[in-house]
Amino acid sequence: MPNSVNTVPFNAWPHRVAVALCCATFPLIWAGGLVTTYDAGMAVPDWPSTFGYNIWLYPWSTWFFGPWDLFIEHSHRLLGTLVGLLAILFVVVVYRSADHRWMRPLAWGCLAGVVLQGGLGGARVLLDERHLAMIHGCVGPCFFAFTAALAVMAGADWRQTSPPALAGTGSRSTRGTGNRQPATAAGLSRLATLTAGLAFLQLVLGAQLRHISIMAGPGQFRVFVFFHLIVAFALLAHALLLAVRSLRLGPSSGKSRLPAVALALFMVLQFVLGPATWVVNYGWPQWVADMPFAVGHTIQAKSLVQAMIVTAHVAVGSLVLASAAVVATRAVRLARVEVTAVGSTAMFVGLAT
Amino acid sequence: MGVVLAGCTPEAHFNANAVLMHKNENAAKETTEFSPQRRADIANTLVALFGTPDEPHIPAAPGIGEDDVHQVMDPRKISFAAGSVSSDEQGRARGLYREHCAHCHGVTGDGAGPTASFLNPYPRDYRMGIFKFKSTPKGQKPTHEDLKRILVNGIPGTAMPSFLVLPENEIDALVHYVRYLSVRGEVERLLIDYATYELTPQTEPSEDDPNPPPEDRLVNLEASEEDQESQAEVIRSFVSEVTQKWLDAESLATEIPAPDPDRDLAKSEAHGRELFYGPVANCIKCHGDSALGDGQTTDYDDWTKELDPANPELVAQYQKLGALKPRNIHPRNLRNGVYRGGRRPVDLYWRLKNGIDGTPMPAVLMLPENAPPGSKGLTEEDLWALIDYVRSLPYESISNPRLAQPKPNNQRERS
Repeated sequence: MPNSVNTVPFNAWPHRVAVALCCATFPLIWAGGLVTTYDAGMAVPDWPSTFGYNIWLYPWSTWFFGPWDLFIEHSHRLLGTLVGLLAILFVVVVYRSADHRWMRPLAWGCLAGVVLQGGLGGARVLLDERHLAMIHGCVGPCFFAFTAALAVMAGADWRQTSPPALAGTGSRSTRGTGNRQPATAAGLSRLATLTAGLAFLQLVLGAQLRHISIMAGPGQFRVFVFFHLIVAFALLAHALLLAVRSLRLGPSSGKSRLPAVALALFMVLQFVLGPATWVVNYGWPQWVADMPFAVGHTIQAKSLVQAMIVTAHVAVGSLVLASAAVVATRAVRLARVEVTAVGSTAMFVGLAT
Repeated sequence: MGVVLAGCTPEAHFNANAVLMHKNENAAKETTEFSPQRRADIANTLVALFGTPDEPHIPAAPGIGEDDVHQVMDPRKISFAAGSVSSDEQGRARGLYREHCAHCHGVTGDGAGPTASFLNPYPRDYRMGIFKFKSTPKGQKPTHEDLKRILVNGIPGTAMPSFLVLPENEIDALVHYVRYLSVRGEVERLLIDYATYELTPQTEPSEDDPNPPPEDRLVNLEASEEDQESQAEVIRSFVSEVTQKWLDAESLATEIPAPDPDRDLAKSEAHGRELFYGPVANCIKCHGDSALGDGQTTDYDDWTKELDPANPELVAQYQKLGALKPRNIHPRNLRNGVYRGGRRPVDLYWRLKNGIDGTPMPAVLMLPENAPPGSKGLTEEDLWALIDYVRSLPYESISNPRLAQPKPNNQRERS
């Protein structure tokens, strides 16, 4: 069996910066959600400047004590610059790390992602185009998920080349090989990848609803609502299944259990926030309209409760996508490690006989 | 990815009232069709009069001073409400209608915004110029305060939100913009009716008439100056007709004589109950014997009646043109204490005295002054008794069975 443990001291800085980058991106996503919720997308009509000022030199008193939509939009831009700086730092630390040479294209990809997002946001403002706002709102969570995956890949355990010890829990036997691990890891990998894909599709469908053109007819909105609901149930089922399979694998899951369980919990939370989003925007559905709590309910437009629920639904959607990406990243890695290990073992056995 | 799914954002524009055109095509005695030229003439006329969603224009109304027209449709306030959403460094918002209203009421104010089909009741279609909850008599427009009240309070039990958090100037701007859309919509209806019944349509060549004359144009720039002016006068008269109604409404709010504050409430409620079940008010006909709103549930509101709901074939045709699926209108369940037009006594007074425009809810029959003995109708005292009874309905034991219990529910009964 080849030596499965790398003895070179591990450079933890890329991992640290990747984690910081991921953590900084989430409030950026949240602020972006607030921009749409409060229709603050055009609160600042120029870009990359802010009312003619350099983005970092805009008077803080106007930023803090000025109009609310200006506060949100400028905050969103400042958080974007923070993420951009962290992305640059990530490139630097990756280049300085011998352990992470292979991550250099990914680091550049990360920086390109930030630049792309910034450009999309700027174009949205300069062209006053809500359609670009929708694309910007879809690419942002993708970037967030990418940073989460980077944090996983930059971690110390990513270097491990041998499979984790078998826990002997719930592994299914495969035909012919006598090794029960690879098929389960491969299955988890496929399921995780599919779940991540569904999470992205759901996010895009949600973006269609949130940014639907005012010239769209009722039929178009109905179609998006219908598919948003269908995919929600499909995604919930996948998330729960993924959590169960990860838990059954135990330590053999390659640290997929925690993110898989988190994903399932986020999906359950979305099933609370989603209907709540509908109720605070459009009132109770017809089938409960005669209930005492619904019959006298008056929607409070632009209220704090409405804004927080709607924005939380968007933000947790990003967490769903990021969690799915983490599970998929770990699961794909686990499956490849297992294939490598089985192959090496088979070679060894073959050589021995 | 987004482009594939959603396409490019179309420019905001007002939709034509294709449903009314089609309805008139079916209803006109001589077969008529709204030709592309006629549709274009109507659209161009409306643009000339009212502009576009991004660049609104306030038309002149002959016989009405500019100040009075601006009382109905203030151009500065409308400019804040129109266009795409933005704000300046001082937080002055623009595009208010698109931000707050268009997703339900539609850019055109036709009640068919993207979310409309999910909402029950449907969002209001302003184009008929009919509004339900107001202080003015049946057939009159609402006052500025009526529309403002709806925006500030919302309508409970519906998707119409309360915009209490908005500053007053923004609410004001939205009221003006709603009136602008309503005037535009009504003028469009008048133009469509005029084109249907007053203008000769294009007829096909036949053996008897191989060279039929071209159709009468709504606006014919090749006609004589005299004819053009005559046409323009007709068009402008429509604007004046509609605008004047909005102006008149401001002085038509129904005055409310105060009820006797020392009246015996129990007696008043008992008298009100007699009236509720009596032949004059006859509330139970629609609201039901138990006031649960189940007296009749097969009627329609005026917006739906225009879609000929009894004719599924026509309904299908209208739906293809953008109309929403017809729904019956249900009388209010008076036992849950929720009144969509407001729950104050004055609100109930207006609903009963004036009825609810656009719905089967009639104005209650009032006894005229100096009416001869034996005349049918309610006095003001009767009306307040009826209001007292209606307001007591949610508190009757039948409305809340727990209140009817003589003992607490958790007290074990001993035989």
